[in-house]
Amino acid sequence: MKTTTFIFALLISVSAFASDKYTEQMSKHIHAVYTAKSVDEYQSAINALDRIALAEKTKWEPYYYSAFGNLMLASQATEGAKKDSYLDLALVAIEKGKTIQANESELIALEGFVHMIRLTVDPGTRGPQYSGMAMQAFGKALGINPNNPRALALMAQMQFGTAQFFGSSTSESCGMARKALEQFSSYKSDNPLAPVWGKEMTEGLLKACN
Amino acid sequence: MKTLATLILVAIMIPAFSQTRITGKVTDVAGEPIPGANVLIKDSYDGTSTNVDGSFSFISEEKSTQTLIITFVGYKQFVQQVELSGTVITITVILKEEINQLDGVVISAGSFTAGEEKRRTILKPVDIAMTAGATADIAGALNTLPGTQKVGESGRLFVRGGDGSEARTFIDGMVVLDAYGPAAPNTPSRGRFLPFMFKGTSFSTGGYSAEYGQALSSALVLTSKDKAEMNQTDIGILSVGADVAHTQVWDRASISGKVQYTNIQPYFGLINQHVDWIAAPESFESSAAYRQQVGKSGMFKFFGNFNQSSFSLFNHDILSPTVKQKIDLTNRYRYGNASYQQALGAWTLRGGASYSYNQNDVRVNDNPMGETETGIHTKLVAEHSVSDQFEIRIGSEIIHRYYEADRYNEVLGNSEELSFREMLSATFAEGEYYISNKVVAKAGGRFEYVNLNQSATVSPRLSLAYKPGKQGQFSFAYGSFTQSAQNQYLRFNTQLQPETAQHFIVNYQVVTDRKTFRIEAYQKEYRSLVKFNTTNPTVISNAGKGNARGIELFWRDSKTIKNVDYWLSYSFLDTRRLYLDYPIAATPTFASAHNFSAVYKHFISKWKSQLGFTYSFSSSRPYYNPNRPASQFHEDRTPAYHDLSANIAYLPKNNLIVYLSCTNLLGRDNIFGYQYSTATNAQGQFESRAVRQAANRFLFVGVFITLSKNKSVNQLPNL
Repeated sequence: MKTTTFIFALLISVSAFASDKYTEQMSKHIHAVYTAKSVDEYQSAINALDRIALAEKTKWEPYYYSAFGNLMLASQATEGAKKDSYLDLALVAIEKGKTIQANESELIALEGFVHMIRLTVDPGTRGPQYSGMAMQAFGKALGINPNNPRALALMAQMQFGTAQFFGSSTSESCGMARKALEQFSSYKSDNPLAPVWGKEMTEGLLKACN
Repeated sequence: MKTLATLILVAIMIPAFSQTRITGKVTDVAGEPIPGANVLIKDSYDGTSTNVDGSFSFISEEKSTQTLIITFVGYKQFVQQVELSGTVITITVILKEEINQLDGVVISAGSFTAGEEKRRTILKPVDIAMTAGATADIAGALNTLPGTQKVGESGRLFVRGGDGSEARTFIDGMVVLDAYGPAAPNTPSRGRFLPFMFKGTSFSTGGYSAEYGQALSSALVLTSKDKAEMNQTDIGILSVGADVAHTQVWDRASISGKVQYTNIQPYFGLINQHVDWIAAPESFESSAAYRQQVGKSGMFKFFGNFNQSSFSLFNHDILSPTVKQKIDLTNRYRYGNASYQQALGAWTLRGGASYSYNQNDVRVNDNPMGETETGIHTKLVAEHSVSDQFEIRIGSEIIHRYYEADRYNEVLGNSEELSFREMLSATFAEGEYYISNKVVAKAGGRFEYVNLNQSATVSPRLSLAYKPGKQGQFSFAYGSFTQSAQNQYLRFNTQLQPETAQHFIVNYQVVTDRKTFRIEAYQKEYRSLVKFNTTNPTVISNAGKGNARGIELFWRDSKTIKNVDYWLSYSFLDTRRLYLDYPIAATPTFASAHNFSAVYKHFISKWKSQLGFTYSFSSSRPYYNPNRPASQFHEDRTPAYHDLSANIAYLPKNNLIVYLSCTNLLGRDNIFGYQYSTATNAQGQFESRAVRQAANRFLFVGVFITLSKNKSVNQLPNL
């Protein structure tokens, strides 16, 4: 009996170790994506996340952060075609993540972010279509989780950009950004791997508001 | 029991004792290192990225037979089984490029592609809508591209020495029998379809795919938009009428409808016209579009359009201007187009059916003379990717047309009727093969059979493109094209065979991020053109022929100057024909040797406005002067054509646009040709009258309002 308990305990600890390995490895690479400074650093973090995504068939987080990394690369690229190719990769990862967790507010908000960056490549041509798609995604993300500060902050950013493009009032978008900033302080997810980025971006937006 | 526990422990510990180091290098086919490639052991976390020199090294804790995978964007995935036993594995990997990437070679001879999604397109739908002088007419905007000749009194597309009927329009693969609205004699007509309906426009000035037939000179291939993204209502108040549209969206479907009324009468009251109108053009139009997603990749599209327009005017006799002829016209038009597309593994199937009805009810001095054309087109196409390098496309279509014309014979006091029914069946097959990312070849053929006159034709098509470097590429295209003789001739002689043209095109183009340069030269040979017998004009045959050659340049730059986008195009054309009633081979009246366009667009954020200018030039055109002997046929020339047009779109609010456009700012009195009296005057001369613009300028004002939940949406893409 004693031995059985031992084996049992051992098995549990083994599986706990395995799941810890996921969290531990993910935390490491998420940190790498957040702190990457060069294309090489981003690429190496994205590759590591892609490897975990391939090994773990039931986790959406690796896809999320892989997409996030490509999105960051897209926003830093200078040539339009290059931006588009990074965004294509981000979208593919998001779609894969959605097949695992279809109604994940964070994934859908990130999808909206992809449309938003896609728009910046050629606002005159892409504006009408991609602003609609981005706003729809942010709306859907907030519908699933009204407390998601990133969805709200991105929506504020989108409205602010549009208002600036057309030279109209930014007061509504700035109010939204202030609300998003409050949510960044209050919102806590039970998922240890949940995204935490976006607060600085919102603070930056609010600076532009004043 | 203790032993079992030990065993389990040992089993768990084993991987830690048998680590395997895997090292190597990843390069491309040319031996250049590939940095940043992802190297991994399948179903494990083990792996790494390659360094700047393409090298990699990592330790795997897995054991026995595992799968090593190496991936990098734009390259084919590398997969190999490896035996992990603790011994170092060294492996050199050459990744093969994927074909058909964004930077790869594309077939470009003869075609201009516009789309929202395709990244390296030359024109976008919004460019078409916002070109000054085009007043949101697709043909008007395409007339600023090389390969087109400005024929101001027509408004249609005239491509490379071809007349207006040789350029055909296709919507979602289906032919449109009459793509232009009715127009009074010598006033420009407008396209029936507005640019905002389409997500993609491919304008081909020659050498196009075997999928498209019944077009001698040009194929304008329009792809309608997919499912709409949001509910919205659009209201437009125009100086010449008003329109209202609404779009309703569901999860997997959308429906939109539009009604429009235009009446130019109030406008004509303000601006003096060269036309003696009794009733200025008035039209009522309604259209509806329905989209339904089916399954994972299926898409059903329906588009329907109903239009009725009418006008009446007096035509004055040239010799005695007080003698006038009353002309009334009512045009009734219906068009329906349903298409379906579905992907099935490596196959894509698409099919569709379209219906056109076009009736011109004309009365000359109240004597009826009208014509009606009804057409049904059905088509099925299958596309198959044999590999990522090789694609084939096969398809079949049937175009059934019924035409009838009747006229009242004043002398006999009865109606005369002429009609014919034409059934055309066609089959085509085409293969596109990417030899590498540098070379692509497309070859195909089209077989057509017309039951009306038992004509059978085989039209081969071939295109090649070679991209030696990163940006520039050379293309070549050859094709044979056929088109049924025009209704007005076919109705007298249904045994007329199809007219044919052969195109040879060479092209060089450089497309960088936001700049395009292209140069193209072509040679075109026309055969079996309609010809009247010189002694008996009622005898019509296929004895006509002709040719055209030219060279064209295009330059577009939206990068150098901030917020400014401009393009320049120049076309040189040398063409002669011996057809219709021509006594000798001569340049047709619609052909001008030199055409030049400059289009300039400037977005000024401070004014919340987009400003645009278009300058068009067209050198002199020949005209027929009956006072000259036949040996001097078409030797007279009109003055050259100049036009400077401007438009401005002002966006005071996100959902409100005020749009103003004016053609011919400088008020030049352009003359397109001369008409001659049918009888001679007292001096034995035929008297002439210039064919002018209906008015020197056309001024248009519109206010467009969009109501939707998303306040950032407006009708900018619709203009």
